[in-house]
Amino acid sequence: MKTIKGVKISPGIAIGPTFYFKRDQFPIPENRIKVSDVESEIARFQQAISKATVELTQVRKLVLEHLDEDHAKMIDGQLLILRDSELINLVSQYVRQENQNVVWAFFEVLSSYEKILQGTDGYQKDRAVDLRDVKRRVIFHLSVDDAYLTPNLKEPAIYVCDRISPSDLIHIKDQGALGIISQIGGMDSHVGILARAFRLPYISSIANLEEVLACPEIVLDADNEEIVLNLSDENRKIYDERARQHELLNQKLLTARLVSSSCDGVPFRVLLNIGFVQELKTIRPQSVPGIGLFRTEFLCIERNAIPNEEEQFVAYRDTLQAMKGHPVTFRTFDFGRDKLIAMMDLEVMHRDVAFEEWGGIRFCLDNPEILHTQLRAFLRASIYGQARLMLPMVTRVEDVLEVKKMLEIIKRDLKKEGIKYRDRFPLGVMIETKLALEILEPLAGMSDFFSVGTNDLALYLIGSKRDENLAKNYYHPVIFRAIHKIVQAAGRFSLPVTVCGEMASDPFALVGLIALGIRSVSVNYSVFHAISDEIRNIRILETKSLTERLLQEENAVKLYKLLRDFYKNQMCAIPRK
Amino acid sequence: MEKKEVTITNRHGLHTRPATTLVKNASGFKSDVNLIYKGIRVNAKSILGLLVLAIEPGAKVTIEANGQDEREAVEQLVALAKNKFDME
Repeated sequence: MKTIKGVKISPGIAIGPTFYFKRDQFPIPENRIKVSDVESEIARFQQAISKATVELTQVRKLVLEHLDEDHAKMIDGQLLILRDSELINLVSQYVRQENQNVVWAFFEVLSSYEKILQGTDGYQKDRAVDLRDVKRRVIFHLSVDDAYLTPNLKEPAIYVCDRISPSDLIHIKDQGALGIISQIGGMDSHVGILARAFRLPYISSIANLEEVLACPEIVLDADNEEIVLNLSDENRKIYDERARQHELLNQKLLTARLVSSSCDGVPFRVLLNIGFVQELKTIRPQSVPGIGLFRTEFLCIERNAIPNEEEQFVAYRDTLQAMKGHPVTFRTFDFGRDKLIAMMDLEVMHRDVAFEEWGGIRFCLDNPEILHTQLRAFLRASIYGQARLMLPMVTRVEDVLEVKKMLEIIKRDLKKEGIKYRDRFPLGVMIETKLALEILEPLAGMSDFFSVGTNDLALYLIGSKRDENLAKNYYHPVIFRAIHKIVQAAGRFSLPVTVCGEMASDPFALVGLIALGIRSVSVNYSVFHAISDEIRNIRILETKSLTERLLQEENAVKLYKLLRDFYKNQMCAIPRK
Repeated sequence: MEKKEVTITNRHGLHTRPATTLVKNASGFKSDVNLIYKGIRVNAKSILGLLVLAIEPGAKVTIEANGQDEREAVEQLVALAKNKFDME
């Protein structure tokens, strides 16, 4: 049996034929248009060009504000190409004289330039990259409502590619993809999060795709991080059975019941983190008490740009409606360096490391037009369900006050325009920076809930360095004391506290959080049901005996052992229902 | 038809900024204006072709114009190239 090793991005197993999709090879429709449609076809092209220009100008402004002129200039080549009158003339000519559809015409024109580029000795990589970026961006705008970009699977197959974008993944999921194999792609990528949410098996870091594609049928065994190229009849039974089990588990998860309390009757909420509206398709609102964290910046990643008010409104409204009255917490755009680069979708930027961290609510307040658009979309959508607003990376009291001020201004505008919105909705603050820990009481006084982002909090308080004996940096006395402090401060103002972040998905750490008084967590879909099961099976009242010991522990390794042993002895000793 | 050869002396060749200056100036003439480099002819009023040619420092290019103001076009654009496109 011949196998190739890879890296697991999303668990599971799939058996089937392969389908190869090259990201830069767009399927180009080669149909001719009616003479009467020529002018509207050209107008469509001009619109796409102006949308792409607006988008790139916005990106350039962001780069200029936060980096420098040199970096902003990297985008100028593309802007010049978009403004080139010859480009528009040539495309129009193809459409008028040959009656080609505009996507086809645009491709022919750009290809002729690419040919010139390849013919020159002074072949310049930057120019090739510029052309590719322009092509992708314009085609995107030409095909927002069409299927030009969609990889078309003819039958259920394992999707093989160099790399895959979140929107590709959403398309192939709809077409019945069985799994994914890619050359590039990491565990933390947005595609990875999405694949796990969709429960699509996914292996990356496969160098030789040719070998995989040469086989009529393969086994994608993500659980064992390998691809089986030639399946013997003998082994087929074993793999078929495993694939069946995988499918059964998926079915079971789809029909899971809602968990609302621990087995000793203490109310507890396990909420869901999501980033894409499409993820809602994978869940039943009956089994999910609410969305504890909607990562709105993912909408930008999917679109490769900041979506306009209408697009955001639709996404927020659809989410609220899909959740049928369950609460949805929208976190305002939280851009870090990685997210911005992904959003810009500019290959030229990938080579550069000069981006500084500029994330959270401060970025949005520094770019008020972006925040204004988002808040307006949120307010308009808020009437369609139980909408909540959450501010990331808060470091100052003013962060909250400024957002509140902007909300009031927008409400006044909406009222004038006769547009409906919800006047009162919960506004929460994420506690995930050192500075926020210093101003817990004033923040509690001006907000309706706290959410603890444990990943960033751990990073800010103790850095990414961890005890070499421990797998996670959050098993640290400082973290548990900080969370205790947050719970206490919130308690004085009767504010609910939710924990989102990796800690909430780790059963040992979860027991510690519960001991500190946490009664609500928000986790990714991949662990949602496992954590719900944990809650269903534990006796929360028993964790009271842990609280004091937990807060007094000084040593990270001992703290880990304390939680582990408590979990194993006190929790698992109880007969599971 | 009027044409003349000129050497590109800008430090980084005919990159984005000098190319933009060339396009701006060429667009001011009524004649069709082309630039020829290594046998490839591109419209000098369009940035796309110029960028794609990736003209290196020291390269010899031909400016060619055809129309009522072809003589002025070639003269002025060659002078512009000699003057490093008003840069450096």
